[in-house]
Amino acid sequence: MGSASVGWTYAKENTMSEPLVHIQDYRMTFGNTTVIDDLAFDVHAGETFGFLGSNGSGKTTTLRALLGIYQPTAGVLHINGKPFEPADGARLGYLPEERGLYKKEPVLETMAYFGRLKGLDKSKARSWSLEYLERVGLAEKATARLDKLSGGQQQKVQLGVTIMNTPELLILDEPTKGFDPVNRRLLMDIIEDQQRAGATVVMVTHQMEEVERLCDRVILLKDGTSHAYGTVRDVQEQFGGTTYRVTHTGVVPASHHYTVVSSQPVGEGQVSELAPAPGADEATVLTELVGAGVPVSGFTTARTSLEEVFIRVYGADSLEDATQPESVGVGA
Amino acid sequence: MAQHNLSTVVGFEFIRTVRKRGFWIAVLAVPVVIAIIFALSFTSNSSISDSADAQAEAEVTFAYTDASGTIPDELAAGYGGQPATDPTEAIEAVKAGELDAYFAYPSDPAEQPIEVTGADRGLFDNGTYEAVAESLLTTAAQAQIGNPGLAAAAAGELSVESTIFRDGEVTGGFTEAIAPLGLLVVFFLVIVMLSNQMLNSTLEEKENRVTEMILTTVNPTTLVMGKILAVFAVGAVQILVLLAPMVIGYVFFRDRMNIPDLDLSRLPLDAGTMVVALLLLVGGFVLFTGVLVAIGAIMPTAKDAGVIFGPLIFAMFIPFYAISLIISDPDALIVQVFTFFPLTAPVTAMLRNGFGTLDPLTAGIVIAELFVFGVLVLRVAVQLFRYGSIAYTDKLNPRTVLGRRRPATAKN
Repeated sequence: MGSASVGWTYAKENTMSEPLVHIQDYRMTFGNTTVIDDLAFDVHAGETFGFLGSNGSGKTTTLRALLGIYQPTAGVLHINGKPFEPADGARLGYLPEERGLYKKEPVLETMAYFGRLKGLDKSKARSWSLEYLERVGLAEKATARLDKLSGGQQQKVQLGVTIMNTPELLILDEPTKGFDPVNRRLLMDIIEDQQRAGATVVMVTHQMEEVERLCDRVILLKDGTSHAYGTVRDVQEQFGGTTYRVTHTGVVPASHHYTVVSSQPVGEGQVSELAPAPGADEATVLTELVGAGVPVSGFTTARTSLEEVFIRVYGADSLEDATQPESVGVGA
Repeated sequence: MAQHNLSTVVGFEFIRTVRKRGFWIAVLAVPVVIAIIFALSFTSNSSISDSADAQAEAEVTFAYTDASGTIPDELAAGYGGQPATDPTEAIEAVKAGELDAYFAYPSDPAEQPIEVTGADRGLFDNGTYEAVAESLLTTAAQAQIGNPGLAAAAAGELSVESTIFRDGEVTGGFTEAIAPLGLLVVFFLVIVMLSNQMLNSTLEEKENRVTEMILTTVNPTTLVMGKILAVFAVGAVQILVLLAPMVIGYVFFRDRMNIPDLDLSRLPLDAGTMVVALLLLVGGFVLFTGVLVAIGAIMPTAKDAGVIFGPLIFAMFIPFYAISLIISDPDALIVQVFTFFPLTAPVTAMLRNGFGTLDPLTAGIVIAELFVFGVLVLRVAVQLFRYGSIAYTDKLNPRTVLGRRRPATAKN
């Protein structure tokens, strides 16, 4: 599928470098409604960034403002040090939440058109498109009109258009929406290919397992403001962090080394979840339990999943709501 | 990059339009109908001409009486006629089938009709008698004049060449208006044929939800300009296809189809008038296109856009309803309003320019107005397209879009 030409330094471990995406003091209002308020975050070259939030939290609006489709009310939204201009489109791959291509046109012609707009010459655009269609199992549909394809097939074509000419910044707004599990895996493979090729990825998704699998850092948006921002581990720590799951009989005594979060009877014994005090590690807690005469038959370390974090931030209904389409516009 | 993208957009939009079967059905329908009409006209005229010639030369045996004394017996004999002494007997002979016809020439053929009595030869061939009777009298009259030139003049076979002076210079009269008014026809065709395509082209991204993909790939100004140029190229193809049968008809079948004998190579072309007409054409197109793009950006669907589109077309061509006033009284208030109101200006000014009543100052003002308004409207339209076509299902509020300004960027 061609090799990447990475123009920005990979800076996952060096956040002091110039960010590829820089958003600061960003505010967006529609009429009297403030959709985003004082948002700030950076995405560094080479990292994969998860943009998380419930339906209506302002994720898509932020991406549109970043890409110049919406005009922000205030703030700085930069890509590579300046506001995005479509002239830089050759370096950007954007898969919007609202999907669509020229429905009456043949698949190959549509892909070749976008390829040329992204800087490929005609023959390269066509050959790349054919190669991609072969990979996603749509080679025989190359000359078919787009509206003759199923929804999932159209999504594959759109993803192909997005990753043409090895983009250095890939912005994906709910990329797996509408995909069945098989095609979702294919899509995730393609995204991982782009990561390996050096692309910086900004991804909006409600699939927390995808975030844990792919993302280096995340931001959680709620009601237009940031509720958590950092590496996946940082955010997990922030909303529960590490706990120890202990299988035992008898009673776990109170200790300044840990707090008993929960305790559930299982068979003849119990499983207790202990939150360690700052500075207390596995050995400290286990030693404390054994010293107190608690018969321990099992001891595992658990980290709060992103899904649990999400539910804690947005409420139990949020994941279900999040599957509904988000729509914020400037219509009258 | 912008130049490359412009040509890419133009190529894509042009090729996908001309590749559609529906496009060619629509484009070819008009010239095919015209060609059929021409063919029918050609066949009919040929048939009529051949029939008239045949009828005039048909062998008819007839008797005649000539109260005018115009027809020599020898001439009549050549046509198959012989003088009758008794009209009643001649008519009875016709009734009995002994004679084909009897012609009674009156004493004053200019005032009185020639009376023809004939035996039935069928609905169409009965005209033979009138043709022979007329031909005999005409030939006799021309023979009496004796001079072929005078005979042709008497038959009305005249040609006139006029030379008209204006301010000491030869002017072409009505023929001078043909070329600039031809550009008005081109303007009319362009607007009628391309407006729907332009509107649909603008709405297509929105209706197909392609807006976000395309606007993050290509500059909106480049996209809109590419669409306009592509639609213009499509229009050029349409006009060529439309004009082709007319040109072929004019060049090869002019005589057979009774097309006026107009020598196009001698058509007077005033450079100033043509330049003004051309600028009015382009300026009007720019303005109209800008308005269409703006409508396309505001309205969610072609159906919704049609509500505004209809009145807009009407406004463009309403000056045609006042054409006699525009020609006869260019200083009338309504004509002045039409001349300077942007939407009615192109047609009014092109009409006045064609008929020579548009002074240079007014022409300059109207041209400047069209281009300034056109460019402004196009800029606003691009802005509306850029920030409005994302409103997929709602009618856009232009004030919401145009009221926003990109905030300062250097704030690191």
